[in-house]
Amino acid sequence: MSETKSPEPIIICRNVNKWFGNFHVLKDVSLEVMPQEVVVIIGPSGSGKSTFIRCINRLEEHQEGQIIVDGIELSHDVRNIAAIRSEIGMVFQQFNLFPHLTVLDNITLAPRYVRRQPRRVAEELALQLLERVGIPEQARKYPGQLSGGQQQRVAIARALAMQPKIMLFDEPTSALDPEMIKEVLDVMKELARSGMTMLVVTHEMGFAREVADRIVLFDEGRIVEMGTPEHFFTNPQHERTKLFLSQIL
Amino acid sequence: MSGLARDRDFYVAPLEPPPSRRPPITEVGPLGWMRANLFSSKVNSVATVITAAFIVWFLWMFLSWSVRSAQWGVIYNNLRLVTSGLYDRREIWRMELTAGLLVFLSGLGFGVWGRLPRSTFLVVLFVLAILVVVPVIGAQVPQPTIYVLVEPQRQPAGFVFVGLKGQEVSFTFDPLTDPQDATERLVGFVENQSRTEWSTQAFKVRAGEVDLSQYNLAVSVRLLDENGKAVPPAPGSASGQFVANPAGGTLKYILPADDWYVLEVRRDDFVNGGAGGNQGYAWLRIRGVEIFPSQEAAAQQRIEQYGAPPSVERALFAEEAAYRFEGARTFGEFISLQVRPFFNHIALPCLVGAALFFDAWVIGTLGKREKWVRRAALAGWILAAPVILILLRGFEGARVLPLVPTSVWGGLLLTILLTVVGITASFPLGVLLALGRRSDLPAIKWTCTLFIETVRGVPLITILFMAKQIVPFFASALSNMDLTVRMMVGVTLFSAAYLAENVRGGLQIIPHGQIEAARALGLNPLLTTTFIVLPQALRAVIPAIVGQFISLFKDTSLVAVVGLFELVGIVDRIVSGQAIYRPYQREAYIVIAIIYFVISYAMSDVSRRLEQSGAGSIRRL
Repeated sequence: MSETKSPEPIIICRNVNKWFGNFHVLKDVSLEVMPQEVVVIIGPSGSGKSTFIRCINRLEEHQEGQIIVDGIELSHDVRNIAAIRSEIGMVFQQFNLFPHLTVLDNITLAPRYVRRQPRRVAEELALQLLERVGIPEQARKYPGQLSGGQQQRVAIARALAMQPKIMLFDEPTSALDPEMIKEVLDVMKELARSGMTMLVVTHEMGFAREVADRIVLFDEGRIVEMGTPEHFFTNPQHERTKLFLSQIL
Repeated sequence: MSGLARDRDFYVAPLEPPPSRRPPITEVGPLGWMRANLFSSKVNSVATVITAAFIVWFLWMFLSWSVRSAQWGVIYNNLRLVTSGLYDRREIWRMELTAGLLVFLSGLGFGVWGRLPRSTFLVVLFVLAILVVVPVIGAQVPQPTIYVLVEPQRQPAGFVFVGLKGQEVSFTFDPLTDPQDATERLVGFVENQSRTEWSTQAFKVRAGEVDLSQYNLAVSVRLLDENGKAVPPAPGSASGQFVANPAGGTLKYILPADDWYVLEVRRDDFVNGGAGGNQGYAWLRIRGVEIFPSQEAAAQQRIEQYGAPPSVERALFAEEAAYRFEGARTFGEFISLQVRPFFNHIALPCLVGAALFFDAWVIGTLGKREKWVRRAALAGWILAAPVILILLRGFEGARVLPLVPTSVWGGLLLTILLTVVGITASFPLGVLLALGRRSDLPAIKWTCTLFIETVRGVPLITILFMAKQIVPFFASALSNMDLTVRMMVGVTLFSAAYLAENVRGGLQIIPHGQIEAARALGLNPLLTTTFIVLPQALRAVIPAIVGQFISLFKDTSLVAVVGLFELVGIVDRIVSGQAIYRPYQREAYIVIAIIYFVISYAMSDVSRRLEQSGAGSIRRL
């Protein structure tokens, strides 16, 4: 979607390996993401796609290989992790809004206490973001009073409030009623068009076809096939991809 | 849509849905509730009737006993002890000031913060009503009248008592000349021999064997100080010389110093030509004098404080062993002797308190938009605890606020003090222990676990004994520590261990997604714990935490075993130590039970309101 790309990739993953106990979840995963690029990751359940994007902001630790985000390598250094996390926004399948805080407080919490913004500034930005995701009138409500689609849009606004360079989406529409999926996807499309670097794990093939610059298929912990949407949907090469697409379309 | 059968293949509802109607009257409101809950089936109806009958019977029994034969005087006469223990009675004004301060802060908080913490303030006010307003009254409740019979068979004895400077005492000489006097009910402390003697005589009067109107008694009464010097009576007092006619009168004194006093009663036989002619009965009613305990320890303490009692030939000491408490017997007496004076005494403090509360509320309401008013209210509450502690305790050797050591604090004051200190200290400690037990660092985790499990494995009574005996043995620096403070430490540690487990339960139910979301936003562990985890975890376990606080409140009664006299301890001492109140244990313990129940119930009510208020009540994860 984006026309001009700077030559330096913003995310570099080289031969990333991860185990849960004895279970080998990620096997030699290598991926480079350019700034402003939208990468959609698809694949069957348990294929390691969620684990992979969670490794990118260190919610999971990888054991081998290299992950470099915006020039900083992920390691055990706490300062690196903190620096990277404030560069990356994340949206979860289960929203994970803070139920004891109002929508406005959910959004302003991190800017106020991590970025040390004054309350007034943070709230101004939060209201702009709520406007952007289409629910400015819900600012004073609690998450429990909103529908699923509204909650997920608040979660997106909350991630954007930290003004991240990269957004990670972990199956953002999987927990939603069919009537509400569209309103969330519309927000994500708008975000993609505005030039945000996005990694999206999803089962929404329509979204992938329309928005993605690249589609990555995961299976059994490795990348099976990667390419543009045209390539992917019209001319898949790998048998596993053909099988997956035949089941899902 | 009539004729369903004809239209069954094809039906379209009218565009407008039918209007909603009210349910039938038997289904809603109190009638509907009773039908649905109390009389829903035959078995339920029978159970309802039986239960209702039992409740009515029980209440009838209890109320008729409590009004007709109970002697609430055991508490009423000892209110000061029950509420503040041996707290110096000349320093009671400090408790009044404390009450005023807290009432003012409650009103201010009520005005500034409005609805949410209202119930909390109401509970604070209620506790105050019991804790502090009552001691104010307790200090003022007049001591029951002391009755001593002046009779022809015995030479009167010198009545020996301890008085304080400025104390008002009065002695009424009341000749018994009317046959009606033989049926009069005595309310107060009746001297044992007088009681025996008078009951015989009164019986004879009623039987017509003795004629009271043949009264011819000459007596002179005067008050002597310790050195035998006569104390001048207050203005308006009777002369002290009582001859047959005019018969009676009241002697009033304002005592000049803290010391022993002797009331000398002399039969002036010479007036009526010798003992044979000086005949008749009279009551000497003594008001304003305190009856003191008979135990040896108490006597020793008096000797240390006031010196040895004056040596009087035939002394009648104002000590409990010589008297018996007589109280009300009928409903009318109950009202006029126990209820009415009680309300008379609380009327003024309650009025002042209400006015103070109202003023503060107005200030709070008007000023809540002003930042400094809000800050002042908050600061006031935060500073209240240390200020009150200093106010009540005072300073060693100070003239204005002399030291009232915590070892003499007692009664409800000590109970509340232990509870408040226990709650405020054990809550943060318990939270830290719970967090520590879930820590990733094994050293912290094991220390916390060891502490929690050790304390939970030991009975509270053992911990209190350890705090009393073993702690000073290990740490000599602590051996000077006040016993009350050591008990506070013991109660706090005990409560913290249980609290930690409750809080840990709350921490465990926080979904991992919450922590992940916080971490993904860049919040560090401290921020995550403070803003995300603890608020939710604590709210989830409010009932368990308040339950722990309630049992802490009740467990403070155990400090009685190490020699501190909190509410239960002091009442136990009153009814078992003071001979005159020994028959009234039932009344005393019922009052205690009511006080404990009301405060505990108020606490659980606050917990319910906290659960229902704010964000937690409408959340949906």
